[in-house]
Amino acid sequence: MALTGRTGLLAALGAIVVLFAPQPAVAVLGVLALLTALVVADLLLAGGVRPLRLERSGERRVRLGDAVEVTLTVTNPGPRRVRGLIRDAWSPSARALPRQQSLDVPAGERRRVVTTLTPSRRGERESAVVTVRSLGPLGLAARQGSHAVPWTIRVLPPFLSRSHLPAKLSRLRELEGRHPVLIRGQGTEFDSLREYVAGDDVRSIDWRATARRNDVVVRTWRPERDRRVLIVLDTSRTSAGRVGVDPASGDPSGWPRLDWSMDAALLLAALAARAGDRVDFLAHDRTVRAWVSGASRTELLSVLVNAMAPIEAELVEADSEGMVAAVMARAAHRCLVVLLTDLNPAALEEGLLPVLPQLASRHLVLLAAVSDPRVAAMAEGRDTAEQVYDAAAAEHLRGARRRMTARLRRHGVEVVDALPDQIAPALADAYLALKAAGRL
Amino acid sequence: MSLDPPAPQPAPGPAAGTLASPPASGAPGAPPGASAADAGPPPAGTPVSPRVRDSWRRTRGVFGVLAIMVVLAAVTVLIASPRPGGRLDSEATTPVGAHALAQLLRDQGVEVRPAGTVEKARELATPDSLLLVGRTEFLADSTLMAELAEVPGDRLLIEPVTQALQALAPGVSAGALTDVESREPGCDLPAALRAGTAMTGGVSYNGPAGSRSCYGGSVIAFHAAGRQITVVGSGDFMTNERLAGDGNAALAMNLAGARPAVVWLVPGLPQTSGARREGEATLTDLIPPGVNWAFLQLFIAVALVAVWRARRLGPVVAERLPVVVRAAETVEGRGRLYRSRRARDRAAAALRAATLDRIIPRLGLTGDATPAGVVAAVAMRTPLDSHQAGALLYGAAPDDDAGLVALARHLDILERQVRDS
Repeated sequence: MALTGRTGLLAALGAIVVLFAPQPAVAVLGVLALLTALVVADLLLAGGVRPLRLERSGERRVRLGDAVEVTLTVTNPGPRRVRGLIRDAWSPSARALPRQQSLDVPAGERRRVVTTLTPSRRGERESAVVTVRSLGPLGLAARQGSHAVPWTIRVLPPFLSRSHLPAKLSRLRELEGRHPVLIRGQGTEFDSLREYVAGDDVRSIDWRATARRNDVVVRTWRPERDRRVLIVLDTSRTSAGRVGVDPASGDPSGWPRLDWSMDAALLLAALAARAGDRVDFLAHDRTVRAWVSGASRTELLSVLVNAMAPIEAELVEADSEGMVAAVMARAAHRCLVVLLTDLNPAALEEGLLPVLPQLASRHLVLLAAVSDPRVAAMAEGRDTAEQVYDAAAAEHLRGARRRMTARLRRHGVEVVDALPDQIAPALADAYLALKAAGRL
Repeated sequence: MSLDPPAPQPAPGPAAGTLASPPASGAPGAPPGASAADAGPPPAGTPVSPRVRDSWRRTRGVFGVLAIMVVLAAVTVLIASPRPGGRLDSEATTPVGAHALAQLLRDQGVEVRPAGTVEKARELATPDSLLLVGRTEFLADSTLMAELAEVPGDRLLIEPVTQALQALAPGVSAGALTDVESREPGCDLPAALRAGTAMTGGVSYNGPAGSRSCYGGSVIAFHAAGRQITVVGSGDFMTNERLAGDGNAALAMNLAGARPAVVWLVPGLPQTSGARREGEATLTDLIPPGVNWAFLQLFIAVALVAVWRARRLGPVVAERLPVVVRAAETVEGRGRLYRSRRARDRAAAALRAATLDRIIPRLGLTGDATPAGVVAAVAMRTPLDSHQAGALLYGAAPDDDAGLVALARHLDILERQVRDS
């Protein structure tokens, strides 16, 4: 039950009656009794909320940053009209608007109520309850009740770096050429034999094949294909740190490293899938959080974003030993292991470095880390002594990261250390460079 | 490359094994991964608000227990708690009250007429009643005293102040102050003789001629203008606390129960001469009686508005939010530590190391270059001589903050010169 402002207004008007009544005490009681009677009558005549039938339809998925509409169908099987307010409540970060809407469902009919969600962060957003306030004919009081109408919206990673994809794909095409190339070199494998045409390099003539046939035949080569790429996402505490500016909400407190890493991973996966490589995905902190394997080229991205959507950074220390064991168990053949983690010297020193030789002995390891633009900005400060102290602290960290990078490179690990908005293209470039060099 | 969500997600087969169930955040038993969102028919809502009769059924036990508690508490208070009141109040059950005496008097057939005000006492008094006056400090007003003096019947004055003594017991004067203790009557007053020893004392009085002075002058009785007037120097023997001791009860009953009725005037608050002059009205008298009730009605209206505004449209929705940790926090903390400790040596070392890291490759040197080699290379490429370059890159830590800032700027200039050379 709920009252409206009219009840209060009526009671206030009653004060005037009381003021001029010959027997004010009786008048107070009379006004009170009248109000109570009207409110009770209104409640009895209001349409029932409990018998309402509510059904949902609409989207189940939305990319972070996009809006999604969820439709609620309200059916009124009762004998009286239901008129009043309805609120479709979602968790706050789903940003459901409008917060409340007016509702008018005549008896036996149904109406649709559309709520627009613009989620502000990745993950699963669940609806809370739907609350209906049904006003009586006098508008003095209302019946109110809630219905649980479960619905889940999966907010997918936005894949902001997809704008870089065309440029990287054209570089990939440059690399492999629209047509098979004739030059044998690193990163190529034998493709086929074809007839010699004027202009072909005479050095690529396959004399043995020419001897078998009457034509001159040349060998053609193409970049290696069907390599394996395993993207390993570190979801431990270092991935919870916020860097840069949240591109979804513009929040200056930043976006978690995890989300930047996911963005880079998606660009790499899209590129590698186009290049004909097989992409697997593993998310790990102390246990395996997600594992995607063997997805076909066409559905790889949708499977990946679905697997990534519910992953949150856990505030635990990464178990690098377990991560290496998980990688070794899942990747039997040599592959490119792309580790998306933070280049945190202390954490790497204790966690990854001891087990890295084991991993690097069988696989090619590429470590990609998101660096913090705030640290870069601090390192530039020269105006006051305070800024110089901050700059010294920032340089201290950057020096430690440089030394860690050098140590990793000595282990044969490729390192990509880039600012948040640069990490995805930088990782794609590193992949293309490895591919061009035939090191996959 | 588009990212259209595939509407009918194929079941995860052997070719596309998908596992994405976060153990920490996922609901137990939820189907994993992409198929979780697509399964099932459109769900219909279920009402979650309790019915009126359900909530009544759930809460009526609480209401019942509350009601029983309230009734029990009320009964206990009524029966057991002391009724408050001032000293010698005929209804007060506190140690200094006089409820016991009033009750005894009633049991003996004496009518006790409590009077809170002088006006009331005048109404209640009859020629055959006894006027008991206590706490006369609250009656210190000449008008009141004059009114009181007109009250007919006998008088029993307990601890009167001087003004009351003069008005109500003319001819009696207060003497020395004595201790309240057990005393013999020492007189021939029948009331005192029958009672025997009693806790008396306080002020001792000197009565007029013909008066009888008992208990060392603390009880004086005499006849004046056709009435018996008794003055008592201390009312302690009449209180609930002392009534049971010695002959206190007998003395008190003999004095107060001498007549068929006793008008008990023991005010609890200072009294004023109540007669207001004609034509003079206070502000409250001028307000029509309806206004107070109208205010009550307005109060009800405000309460109803509060109920209207307080009612939420549905419950508050809570959400588990991820932790917000700025990744640069540790660096900022280190910077503040440097700042608070004025760690110029460490700050300078960090800045120099960073500059060296950047310029050594540009100088064509390797990481294991000696300081002397670096200084020589720098001196060759920049306007600095080897002494200046050595002091800048490998010198002592600056002495003050200004020196540190200058060092940082010089290192920047050096770096730029090396880069541009």
